[in-house]
Amino acid sequence: MAVITALLVPVVAFSQEELPWKEASASSQAYHKYRQKSTIPPYGLAKVKKLISGIVYLEGDGDNGTSGLGNKTYMALSLREKFTYHMIHAEVSSQNCDVSPPILEEDKKIFGNLPDAFDEAAWSERQENFLQSNRDSVLALIKASVSRTNRVGLNYKAAIVQVNGKEIIPFLIETYKRDQKDYDILTVLMLLMKKGEYKPFMTSASFVKLYGSKSTYLSFIDYNKANEELIINRATAFYNGPR
Amino acid sequence: MMVSSSKLKAQPDSTLVKIPAGAYWIGGQTHQLNPLRKISLANFYIGKTEITNLQFEDFVKATAYKTDAERLRNAMVFEPGLAEFKWLRDSTAFWRFPNGRSRGGIENKMNHPVTSISYADAEAYCKWAKVRLPTLDEWEVASRAGAKGTYFWGEDQEQIGTYANIWNARDHLTADVSDGYMYTSPVASFKANAFGLYDMYGNVFEFCEGSLKNDPKKRKVVHARGGSWWCSRNSCGFFNSVDIGRVNPHAAFSNQGFRIAKTTPN
Repeated sequence: MAVITALLVPVVAFSQEELPWKEASASSQAYHKYRQKSTIPPYGLAKVKKLISGIVYLEGDGDNGTSGLGNKTYMALSLREKFTYHMIHAEVSSQNCDVSPPILEEDKKIFGNLPDAFDEAAWSERQENFLQSNRDSVLALIKASVSRTNRVGLNYKAAIVQVNGKEIIPFLIETYKRDQKDYDILTVLMLLMKKGEYKPFMTSASFVKLYGSKSTYLSFIDYNKANEELIINRATAFYNGPR
Repeated sequence: MMVSSSKLKAQPDSTLVKIPAGAYWIGGQTHQLNPLRKISLANFYIGKTEITNLQFEDFVKATAYKTDAERLRNAMVFEPGLAEFKWLRDSTAFWRFPNGRSRGGIENKMNHPVTSISYADAEAYCKWAKVRLPTLDEWEVASRAGAKGTYFWGEDQEQIGTYANIWNARDHLTADVSDGYMYTSPVASFKANAFGLYDMYGNVFEFCEGSLKNDPKKRKVVHARGGSWWCSRNSCGFFNSVDIGRVNPHAAFSNQGFRIAKTTPN
């Protein structure tokens, strides 16, 4: 192999005093963890967990990339058990840049998109098809679960967006208002308005900032009462508008 | 012996570039997983280009190695029309057919980076070739080439097209060939950095060794850097010297590849 030497010598390019590293505050770090939490559905949970733990892994390190239940086992599950399976297990891998890193002042931001619900995994076509094909049941199960826990886990949020669950907007707003600390519920409202191409939102300054040509997947607007009220009011009008 | 025309065209550059020992600043001022810090590195050598299909074929021919995608049938492929971050599982895909048999093979792409390989496959290649993957820190020092910013030329993202094969469209609903390539490009098709290293950003995510503070304790994850042909300004943006990706060690995507490193030149 030929070897050439890089022409540049190592340099200390900038001093630590000039640009000290900024660590996210404790509240920001705590909110990052809070955002990642999923809700574990109760329906057939023990059975589904046992089935997932029985997925055969071919590799010596106990992992073979993400995988799913065999079709026969999967088809034998009831609808509720399938729902639990999909909410706690994603069947295919997600790529490198899919996992959102923590950022500064995360607890003061309303993001345009949700974090990835399953880390290095994602729902397969089979899983997405199930959610879509059974959207009424899926939304009903989510509502029942959230009513018990007062928490819309990240997996539930992803499912609501996946099935375009416009009809549970009032329920989401009601849940948000209980403690007003899960700003990702506001994100879900905006994603539903985006999916519904709701014109008053699509032509707003928020939309341009969050989803416009210069936006990124981590784009956000500041959390403040005005933005909170605006999102809720718009989402309510969107829900009450033409069906 | 007959040699195919595609192989005659394929001329992967196996040159290693020596990165001198020294103290280097890496990381970002606000990056929570890659904090700004000063590190010391010994001399190391890193591939001028990403490992190509031709180079990987030599490995497979010599060892009869079967990749994770061939054994597990778990490769993830892309075609225009998918929503952001959506990929399709395709049991026919592996390094010879990176996006599945229906989307064509690599016969005329032997000088493109090998893809649809996993971290475990990259490790197997390295073991055979008596080389290793760069560490996360080595990769960053090599990519920066002495620069301090997000990119090795500074902060202006608009220059990315000069140096990297990325996705230039707003979304992935229609094909983007605005830079000449929808998927991978031949290695060294774009301008090198100041160390003479090609495709440090874009083309393929490059597997590295190392871990991050937020890595899960109950399962192994691996990391890759530099973004890829799939990455766009709006959806990924990892074509820089700061961000670090995370993926399952057996996952095979058609935007994942690697370049090699060595501690000594021989």
